[in-house]
Amino acid sequence: MRNRLIFSAAAVVAMLALSPAPRGQDAAHTGSAPDISGVWLVEKFEPRLFPNGGAPLQPWAEKKLKATNPQTDDPNLACLPEGVPRFMISVPYPMEIFQGLMRVLIIHEGTSVLRQIHMLRQHAKDLDPTYAGDSVGKWEGDTLVVDTIGFNDKTWLDGGALPHTEALHVVERIRRSDHDTLVDEFTIEDPMAYTKPITAKQVYKLKPEWEIHEYVCEQNNKYTYKGK
Amino acid sequence: MRNRLVVFPVTVVLLLLSLGGSAYAHHGFVSWFDLSHSTTVKGNVTSFDWTNPHTYIYLDVKDEKGNIEKWTAELGAIGMLARAGWRRDTLKPGDEITAIGNPAKDGKPVMHLTKIIFANGQELSSAL
Repeated sequence: MRNRLIFSAAAVVAMLALSPAPRGQDAAHTGSAPDISGVWLVEKFEPRLFPNGGAPLQPWAEKKLKATNPQTDDPNLACLPEGVPRFMISVPYPMEIFQGLMRVLIIHEGTSVLRQIHMLRQHAKDLDPTYAGDSVGKWEGDTLVVDTIGFNDKTWLDGGALPHTEALHVVERIRRSDHDTLVDEFTIEDPMAYTKPITAKQVYKLKPEWEIHEYVCEQNNKYTYKGK
Repeated sequence: MRNRLVVFPVTVVLLLLSLGGSAYAHHGFVSWFDLSHSTTVKGNVTSFDWTNPHTYIYLDVKDEKGNIEKWTAELGAIGMLARAGWRRDTLKPGDEITAIGNPAKDGKPVMHLTKIIFANGQELSSAL
């Protein structure tokens, strides 16, 4: 089984329902958190963070990017997950956000990945590197601030093959700018691979009539992955 | 001569529209298909794979001498296609359709489908 969680809607609902309320938790406070739940789709699909080039790559990363063949090396060709932040930036399939007391869960139709944002704990120590990393969140006014570390180096930052290392650190500021619009502002840091932080923004539109469909990438994948 | 009806360059605006559509693939389709060109073929469906991560239409396209060229039209995933009005029984073997899309960069008879036109003139886009 690949390093990802395949979900069902029932399983997600069960996870939320079964999450125990922590002792001393101020339910009234968490209950007043802005509602960002729902099915959302990127407003404009642009797979690359730098469509005109110019990413502030370290020399080795620049060399790696040039040596990458997107026809054979995209992890998606092996049905591997996009990981964070590509998962949030350059995948134009819908995602559904569930807000629980303990966690905010995001299920993404593409590759059927579940992302967990832990709301009541800090990053664990000695994180085992993963595709989505370890995300912890907190509310700052109307904004959900998500801090993610603990990545493996097997994903691309975007659909343009931008590499990264396990030192990747992503901070997202997610807010509902109006009823139908969700905005996620990214600060992407990886001093091992980039000379300065990268900032980006993605806008999503609410799709109230949509449900997340099953997506089994292995069903009829005709592509061959040669990446590492 | 192949029964390609039209092969023509499109404008940058159309290119951007293509990128903005929902006919996304699980791979970087920009690297596989020439989004600056469109190709059109008319033929008969031999198979319709209603599958993830891609749906496929297989077509027999006859040229003027009756020779058959086998074409493959690649579409996106089931979920987004369903939202665009496609169903598992949208096509069946024998259906005559016109397929319009971006040609493969390697010149093979493969396209990234943007829309089909049924024999009765009805059109169905692969994007929302």
